Amino acid sequence: MESLTERGSDSQTPMTCLIVDDSAFARFHLKRLIDSFENVLASEAANGNEAITEYRRLKPDFVLMDIIMPGLEGVETVRRICESDPTARVIMISSISHREKVEEALAAGAKYFIPKPVTTDDLRRAIDEVLRNRREKPEAQQ
Amino acid sequence: MRLDFVRMFVDSTTELFQTVLGPTVGVKSISVRPSPVAGRDVLTIISLTGDSQGRVIFDMDLFTAMQLAGCLLGEPSPGMTPLVRSSIAELASMAIGQAISKINDSGSKLRMSPPIVITGANLVSYDQCFETLVAPISTAYGEVRMNITIQDLN
Repeated sequence: MESLTERGSDSQTPMTCLIVDDSAFARFHLKRLIDSFENVLASEAANGNEAITEYRRLKPDFVLMDIIMPGLEGVETVRRICESDPTARVIMISSISHREKVEEALAAGAKYFIPKPVTTDDLRRAIDEVLRNRREKPEAQQ
Repeated sequence: MRLDFVRMFVDSTTELFQTVLGPTVGVKSISVRPSPVAGRDVLTIISLTGDSQGRVIFDMDLFTAMQLAGCLLGEPSPGMTPLVRSSIAELASMAIGQAISKINDSGSKLRMSPPIVITGANLVSYDQCFETLVAPISTAYGEVRMNITIQDLN
């Protein structure tokens, strides 16, 4: 399987990721998978509004986003993030994976969709796909 | 009662449990009961809305909940912590979400709420006298019982 370490010229710079899910267990599980990848740092948000704030602050290399969340749900959150940053790379992760919902998520700006339960291989494949041809992004604001 | 949806809920739950918890999963006899639904120590409730409405309640004893959580978390659980509750909720959410996806792909409109986990002794849910289909699912970690009520709105 293609390696996550294909990250351009500066392989010492860690990739950054924002995990968005209202489920503490889902965040725990995804972080565990992310931590198994070399040189990827994960931050977390528990709802859509927190995700938008954290995205603006951190400008992560990619986002893992749930769909069903209380309040601002995942597809609308993606729409708002992608409106403010069209280069955002969002991977939707949800147990809700029917055609209409997947198309809605992609139309909102998501680049990839993974149905739950997520495996290491699913996640690695999705990350490699969305990071392919990635462009330089501005530094995260501190 | 939408028995076709009930079947999809039971099948998707069985499939998910086999994937996540291991191959020793089986559905014992399925029965229809009048309300109320008698629960055990841990209930996970998911509401269903759309062309049909109803809800799915997973009930299990505390020991089974702890065992399931331990399997999902990869380590024994010290008690009914927020992370343990969340893992039980996520298991139910994934199971019902997969069925919801199939139902929507087949042309019906059905949505699910985020799961709610309630703990206590001998919990009982007084569901407005709708017939409830009860499907006990055996796993290597104990029995999880599905209580499903779903009716067409018309």
